[in-house]
Amino acid sequence: MPPTSGRSLPVIPARYQPALPMDRFILAEQPDAEAVPMDVVFVGGGPAALAGAIELSRLVKQDAEKGGSLGEIEIAVLEKAAGLGEHNLSGAVVNPRPFRELFPDLKDGDFPFRVPVGNERVYFMMGSRAQRIPAPPTMKNHGNYVASICEIVRWMGEKAEEAGVNVFTGFPVESLLVEGERVVGVRTTPSGLQRDGTPGSDYTPPTDLTARVTVLAEGTRGSLSQAYMKWRGIASRNPQIFALGVKEIWETRKPLDAIVHTLGWPLPNDAFGGSFMYPLEPNLVALGLVVGMDYGELDLDVHVLLQRLKTHPLFREYLEGGEMVEWGAKTIPEGGYYAVPERRYGDGVVIVGDSAGFVEVSSLKGIHYAVQSGIYAARAIFDALKKGDTSASALAPYDRMVNESYIMSDLRERRNMRLAFQKSGIYTGGVKAALMTVTKGAFPGGMISSEPDAEAPRARRGGEEFRPDGKLTFSKLDAVFRSGNATRDDIPSHLIVGEDIPGDVAELYQHMCPAGVYERDGDRLVVSPANCIDCKATDDIGPRWTPREGGSGAKYRRM
Amino acid sequence: MANTFAYAETRGGELRRVALEAVTAARQLADASGGGEVHALVVGAPGVAARAEQLGRYGADVVTVVEDPALDKYSPEVVAATAARLIDAGNFRVAVFSASAQGKDLSPRVAAKLGVSMISDATSLEVKDDAVVSHHPVNTGKVIAAVTLTGSPAVVSVRPGAIAPAESGSTARVESAKPAIDPASARVVPKELIRGNTAQLDLGEAPVVVSGGRGLKVPENFKLLEDLAAAFGNAAVGATRAVTDEGWRPHSDQIGQTGRLVSPDLYIAAGISGAIQHLAGMRTSRTIVAINKDREAPIFKIADYGIVGDALEVVPVLTEAVKEAKKE
Amino acid sequence: MKIAVCIKRVPDMETRFKIAADGKSVDQAGLKFDMSDFDGYAVEVALRLKEKEGQGDVTVISLGPAVVQETLRKALSMGADRAVQLEAESVPFDGLAIAKALAAELKDGGYDLILFGRMAIDSSNQTVGPMTAVLLDLPCMTAASSLEIAGGRATARRELEGAAEILEFPLPAVITIDEGIARPRLPSLKGIMGAKKKPLEVKPAQLGDVHLTVARMELPPERTGGRIIGEGPDAVPELVRLLRTEAKVL
Repeated sequence: MPPTSGRSLPVIPARYQPALPMDRFILAEQPDAEAVPMDVVFVGGGPAALAGAIELSRLVKQDAEKGGSLGEIEIAVLEKAAGLGEHNLSGAVVNPRPFRELFPDLKDGDFPFRVPVGNERVYFMMGSRAQRIPAPPTMKNHGNYVASICEIVRWMGEKAEEAGVNVFTGFPVESLLVEGERVVGVRTTPSGLQRDGTPGSDYTPPTDLTARVTVLAEGTRGSLSQAYMKWRGIASRNPQIFALGVKEIWETRKPLDAIVHTLGWPLPNDAFGGSFMYPLEPNLVALGLVVGMDYGELDLDVHVLLQRLKTHPLFREYLEGGEMVEWGAKTIPEGGYYAVPERRYGDGVVIVGDSAGFVEVSSLKGIHYAVQSGIYAARAIFDALKKGDTSASALAPYDRMVNESYIMSDLRERRNMRLAFQKSGIYTGGVKAALMTVTKGAFPGGMISSEPDAEAPRARRGGEEFRPDGKLTFSKLDAVFRSGNATRDDIPSHLIVGEDIPGDVAELYQHMCPAGVYERDGDRLVVSPANCIDCKATDDIGPRWTPREGGSGAKYRRM
Repeated sequence: MANTFAYAETRGGELRRVALEAVTAARQLADASGGGEVHALVVGAPGVAARAEQLGRYGADVVTVVEDPALDKYSPEVVAATAARLIDAGNFRVAVFSASAQGKDLSPRVAAKLGVSMISDATSLEVKDDAVVSHHPVNTGKVIAAVTLTGSPAVVSVRPGAIAPAESGSTARVESAKPAIDPASARVVPKELIRGNTAQLDLGEAPVVVSGGRGLKVPENFKLLEDLAAAFGNAAVGATRAVTDEGWRPHSDQIGQTGRLVSPDLYIAAGISGAIQHLAGMRTSRTIVAINKDREAPIFKIADYGIVGDALEVVPVLTEAVKEAKKE
Repeated sequence: MKIAVCIKRVPDMETRFKIAADGKSVDQAGLKFDMSDFDGYAVEVALRLKEKEGQGDVTVISLGPAVVQETLRKALSMGADRAVQLEAESVPFDGLAIAKALAAELKDGGYDLILFGRMAIDSSNQTVGPMTAVLLDLPCMTAASSLEIAGGRATARRELEGAAEILEFPLPAVITIDEGIARPRLPSLKGIMGAKKKPLEVKPAQLGDVHLTVARMELPPERTGGRIIGEGPDAVPELVRLLRTEAKVL
C-alpha cells in the first residue's frame, strides 16, 4: 500500500513494542572485585540528582562538624552525557522555591536563571488567527524565572563538585546490581564497542560501583527506574503517560518582551499540547511545542508541527531574519498524581524527579519538584546512613516527605486535568480543566482512568507534505545537526526494534521520532541509531531505548 | 633605512615555492615601507648557490648562501643559529619565514634566539609606525585575529599561498657565509627525507578531505580519489552514507550527520549530490569544491567552486594539476 | 623517565564563535572548554612511554587562571601523576612571554622529556614549544607524528608538505606532538576518582614581557557558495588557480 494514500486499519503501537529487557537492566550479580566503593550513587546528573547530592554532602559535613559518627561518605553522580547539562532540556519557566531551600545563603539573583517573568501572553490559535485569551491560573508565572535547564544543571554541578561530590560525566548506567530484593550497586555501560558488538581499539569495559543507596534520577522514562518498578511490582493507579516536546533556540532580530503560550493550531483537536516562546535574553528566544504522546494520528509529527507553528505571524514576526542556533527534544511524564508510583523507595534505592513522575503538566513545571524531591531523598538517605540501615523501611520517610509536601498537593489539585484531554479533546477538555481549577481538583470527583500511550490507536490523517525552507523551517537531519549530536556512527544500535515491523508502523515511527532515527522505505523500517538524541519518545510507543556509549547523543548548551 | 630578511626554504637543493613567497613578501614590505634591502638566506649542500639568481629575480638584493655537505637536509639547529646570527648582525626590521612545516619549526627557534616575539601564519603583513601588523587565523580559521607586534627585529611566518610570488627583475649580490655552528655539533640530526609521503591521515584531522558519492558508480573508482589524496599528500578519503551503506567503503569513512563531522581547509566532493545528511558533516569546511554532473545538485549551493562534469573525468585531470602545483 | 607535558585549555571548536564587546576576543558566553586537541595526544604519548617503561612520572603543566585546573584534572584522570598550574589572570597571545614562564618552571625539574601539543588549537601560533626549548637550551623536535625512544636517544618523524623527514636527537629534549600519533584515552571512572587525590600545585607564572597582542578579532566572511567555475576537465586549471590564489589552500 502506498504510504500516503488510502485508509488502513488504525495501528496500536503496543502490539509492536518489544518488552523491557529486564535481564539486562536488573543483574543478580555481585559487583566485581575491582568495584569502586561508594556510599550513595545517583544514576543521572540532572536537577534532582544534583540537588540530592548537594543536600546530602551538606548534611554529612554538618554531621562531621558536630562531631557525628558518620565519617566520610562518598557520593557519586553518574551522567551519560559528555558534560553536565548536555542531555537536559526543558522550557523553562522555573519556580525558585526549592533553590532557596537548597542554597539558604544565596539570593535569587545568585541562581543561574536568565530573567524574571514579566509580561505573559496566552493565545488560542485558529489557523492564521491568534486570539489572545486570559492566562489560565495554572499558567500564571509571576515570581518565576525564565531559565535554561542546561545552565542550571551546569551550575549545580559546580556546586556539587565544590561540596566534594564525585561527578562522573560520560558514564551511563547499564544495570542495577541486586542481591535478593536489595540494590547493591550499578554497572556502567562499556564504550568503544564496534558495530558488531565486539570491543574496538579504544574499548573501555564497564565499571561496577557499590552503593548503600542508589538514587534513580534518570529523568523521563528512565530505563532502570522502569525496570526496578517492574521487578518489584510497584504500580501506579494510572499508567504513566508522556508528551513529546521539541524545542529550538533562536537568535532573533526583534526582541521578545513577554513569555508567550499558545493552544490550538497546528495541533489537531484531539491532541493535547501547546507551544511556548520565552526570552532568555531580549534577542535570544527559546520556543517549543509539546504534544501528548496519546495523539490519534499515525502521521502526526511534532517536529513538523513546530516547523509549521513558526510560520504563523505570531512567531514569524520574531524569528524571521534570525537564526536557529540549537534544537532538541525530550519527553515529559505528564500522567500527574495518579501516575506517580505507589512507592518511590525500596531496599537500597529511591526514585526521584521525572523518573518518579513529579511533573505538573497544566503549569508546565517539573524542575522545582525534581529539585525538591532530591532534597527530600538526601534527608531520608542521611538519616538511614546515620542509623546504619538503608533498607526499604529506613528509606520510607522519603515518600512521606514528598507526600506531605507541595509536590503531591500540587499534583493532587490538578490530578485530572491532563486526563480530561485524553478523553475529551481540546474544547471539552479545556472546559473541564477550567472547572477543575475553580474547584481545586474536586471536579469531577474520582479518578479519570487512562491508558498507556502505546495503547492509543493511530490512524493516518494525510495532508500536504511539509517542505522545509532551511531558513525558518528545518528538516529533521538539519535539526539533529543543531542538537550538537556527533555520536559515533559505528557503535552497536542501542534501540531494540520489534520484529517484522509493517510499513504503517514504520511510518508511525518515522513521524514519532523528531530526530529522524526511523524512516519508512517501502514496507521496510530503516533505523539510524546515531541520530538519536535520547528524547525517549521511541521508548514510549516504539522501539525500546537502552543506554549506549557515554558521551553519545545531544550536546545541548542552552536548552 | 632598515632592511628586510627572508628565509628561502629548499628541499633536496631546490627552492620551494614558499621560498619565493617569503622573498616576495619581504620585497613588498620593504617597498611599502620606503625601501631598504631584502636579504635572503639559502642553506644547503654545495651547489645551492645556483638558486641565488632566482631569488634575485623575486626581489632579493642580497642572497647569503651557506653551503656545507652536511646541510643537504634541513638541520634545525644549524639553520636557526645561522639565521639568528645573520639577523642579529644586520640592520633588519622584519625577518620573513614561511609558515610551512619547516618554517614553523625554524621561525620560533630564531625568534627565541633573538629574544623577540613573533607573528605566526600571517595572511597579511604591514609595518605601521613602530609595530608590525598582520592578520592571523585562529580557532581553526573560524576567527581572524588582527595582531600587533612591537619590538625589532620582528619575526613573521607567512601562511603558504597568502602572498603570490612576483618577479621584480633585479639581480642579487651573492655573499657566502659559514654555518653559525658546526653541523657535526648539532644535537638534532636529520636522518632521512622521505618523498611523496602519502601517510594515511585520519579524516577528522586531515587538512584536505577528498570525498566520493554514488556518482563514482563503482567502488573501484575510489582509486581515483586515493590518487588525488596522494597528490595532496596531506589528504584523507571520505565517503557518503549511500556509499558506505553499499559497502563500497568502510563505515568509519562516512562523512555526515550520522558519521564523521569534518572541517578541513579544503573539502573536495566528487560525485556527491549533497544530501543534507552529508552536508551536515562537512559544511564547516573552509573551502568546498564540488564536482558533479547535475548542475542542480544541492552540493553546489554550498560549494565555493563548482565544476559541472563527470567526476570520473575531472578528478584524474585535477590529480595531475595538483601534482604539478605541489612540485613547485 | 620523568616527563612534563604542557597543556592548554581551549574552547570547543565546534562552536559558532562570536566576537566579544571589546572587539578583540571571543565572546565566552556559552563556550565549552577542553584540553587542546594536540595536547591530548601529547599526554597520551607521555602515558604510553611511562607504561612501556613500567615506571616514570608524568607532570602536566598549564598556564592561566584557576579554570585551567579543570584541564589539569582531566590529564590527571587520564593517568598523569601530578599537575602544576602557573597562575596568570589570562594567557597572553605572545608565545615568548608564555615560553619564559614555562622555562622558569621546567628549568630545574630534571625532566627527560618535555612534551607539547604541536599547537594550541585556539591561538594557532605553534611557537611556545620550540621557544621553550631554546630558552632551556634543549634539543627540540616539532610536530612529531611518530616517536621512538631507546638508549637515551629519540627518533621522530615530521610530516612535511608532500613529504616527511626523520630526525634523531638525544634526551633530555623538547618534543611537540602532532595529531594521530596515539589516540588519547578517555579518562576511566577510576582514573577520575584517583585524580582528585593527585597533587596539584599552584605557582605564580613568571611571564615574560608581552610584545605580541591581538588588536582586533573578526569573523571571516560568510560562505556564499553556488559559484560554478566551469564544465568538465577544462575547468581544472581555473580551479587550481582559485585554490591557490583565492582560497590559499594549495
